Amino acid sequence: MKDSHTLKSLAVLLENNKISSKEVTSEYLKNIESGKELNCYNTISQEKALIDAEKSDERRKSQNLRSKYDGIPIGIKDLFCTKGVTTTASSRILSNFIPNYESTVTQKCGEAGLISLGKLNCDEFAMGSTNKTSFFGSVKNPWKSLNSDNELVPGGSSGGSAAAVSGDLCVASLGTDTGGSIRQPASFTGTVGLKPSYGRVSRWGIIAFASSLDQAGPITKTVEDAAILLDIISGHDEKDSTSSVNPKENYYENLNPDIKGMKIGIPKEFRSDKLPASTQKSWDECADLLKTNGAEILDISLPHTMSALPAYYIIAPAEASSNLARYDGVRYGLRVKGNDLIDMYEKTRSEGFGDEVKRRILIGTFVLSSGYYDAYYIKAQKIRSLIKSDYVEAFKKVDAILTPSTPSTAFEIANEPSDPVQNYLNDIFTVPVNLAGLPGISIPFANDENNLPIGLQLITNSFEEQKLLNVARNIEETINYSETPEKWWFK
Amino acid sequence: MEFDKKSLLKLGKLARISISEDKLNNLSKDLNSILEFVDQLKEIKTDQVDPTSNSLNQKLEVRDDKVDNKNSTEDVLENAPEKEMDFFVVPKVIE
Repeated sequence: MKDSHTLKSLAVLLENNKISSKEVTSEYLKNIESGKELNCYNTISQEKALIDAEKSDERRKSQNLRSKYDGIPIGIKDLFCTKGVTTTASSRILSNFIPNYESTVTQKCGEAGLISLGKLNCDEFAMGSTNKTSFFGSVKNPWKSLNSDNELVPGGSSGGSAAAVSGDLCVASLGTDTGGSIRQPASFTGTVGLKPSYGRVSRWGIIAFASSLDQAGPITKTVEDAAILLDIISGHDEKDSTSSVNPKENYYENLNPDIKGMKIGIPKEFRSDKLPASTQKSWDECADLLKTNGAEILDISLPHTMSALPAYYIIAPAEASSNLARYDGVRYGLRVKGNDLIDMYEKTRSEGFGDEVKRRILIGTFVLSSGYYDAYYIKAQKIRSLIKSDYVEAFKKVDAILTPSTPSTAFEIANEPSDPVQNYLNDIFTVPVNLAGLPGISIPFANDENNLPIGLQLITNSFEEQKLLNVARNIEETINYSETPEKWWFK
Repeated sequence: MEFDKKSLLKLGKLARISISEDKLNNLSKDLNSILEFVDQLKEIKTDQVDPTSNSLNQKLEVRDDKVDNKNSTEDVLENAPEKEMDFFVVPKVIE
């Protein structure tokens, strides 16, 4: 492919009739075919995408467009229910599931005329940080380290969503983020990943993992594209009782990179000797850059930061064990025959779920069980209050907080630690944001000594997505990060 | 608290997941590692703190109690592994 498209650039090309939706959709379907080795897609909607693209071209001819972005092809994490299109959550237990309804988010994308290229691979039920827990196998990161041909993890759980954007297998994608599942893979692939405030985007029709933490959001090449896609997917939905009634803003139209007079906090608890020198350097350079651009940099403290990850690994499994109780082989999904009803349940769930999902269901069942509920579950919810109040205090002093997105850059698939807790540490910088319900964005800042992308995270107060995007846009505009992975999968 | 074979099998029963003999050792190792990790929270004083179950400060709206035509029997049964007439079929429960 000649050019690397964005939502913004394609909207212009389509408007000026330089390209048709059918042409651009075919182009991406070709890219998907050439990039099969990356294993980004669980389902490719070849036929449907081309029909939808033709319809979009007809709408354009008859000047009956659904939006400026009508006809642009995107990818959808395989966690969003899509009517008539297999939706698996990358799990064996749902491998034959074809929903007869559409999630609110994908519905909104359709109403804006966006074309779905297919369903993107992810960790099973969004539980993982490397994409290795998918029943359909690991996604490969389009990036490779200098001097090594070994395959790298794309991050997770929205690993397919991030890798597909990075490798030009879609223009932009939808992901979900429960503890970092949009921001961490965005950081590992040099893309922009936005997790909106809890309640900003409807969760209706998204396969639930931990309902008090889950949020859907965009993975894109640019901050502008993130604003465009957030405009499309956000807003109140009566089908999700936890979706906010706060009116949404026009994020793209109101994007203003002026940060003069803003206060940016650097939390001391995120500093660590274990942080790679290149990540620390990027973090420092970004703070300097914001200062040069007119912001004031303040040292702040978020005292309970280190308690966030253990609290998360009580709360998220507890909610997961409850949410995943519905997979029992009765109403949908896999059924494995048993001697009686209980035996059927146990065999279905044992064969249908992978190891990480089982671990989390078991831990969740334990922390909710009689005798341990107060000591674990209620305790973790109290810690959650402390974490939230840390941020409430911080946002009395600052407009936004700047941190690294991840404690490392992408690592080799073969080097993934076997101890689950070691893997959980990938999300140490992103998890507090979910517990506090805040919006966070990961943007690529520079590449490290191995030429792998380093992501930085910005956090603002709840429902301050506009401010978040403005600061992110200021950084993007100043550094103009334009690194792209070499397309080694083209042979 | 530490997971041993017996407590793990009980947990499997509660979660309706059968755990095979050959997986017990690794699983108890993994779960004990997770438990050890989350146990660090015991150090933090929380006597005066209220729990947070959801970060959104919003009253849950109640919808009008009106009948609608969404979710037809056909739709609901569409993905059933086994069905008969308007019912999900499960293995016999009463002897």
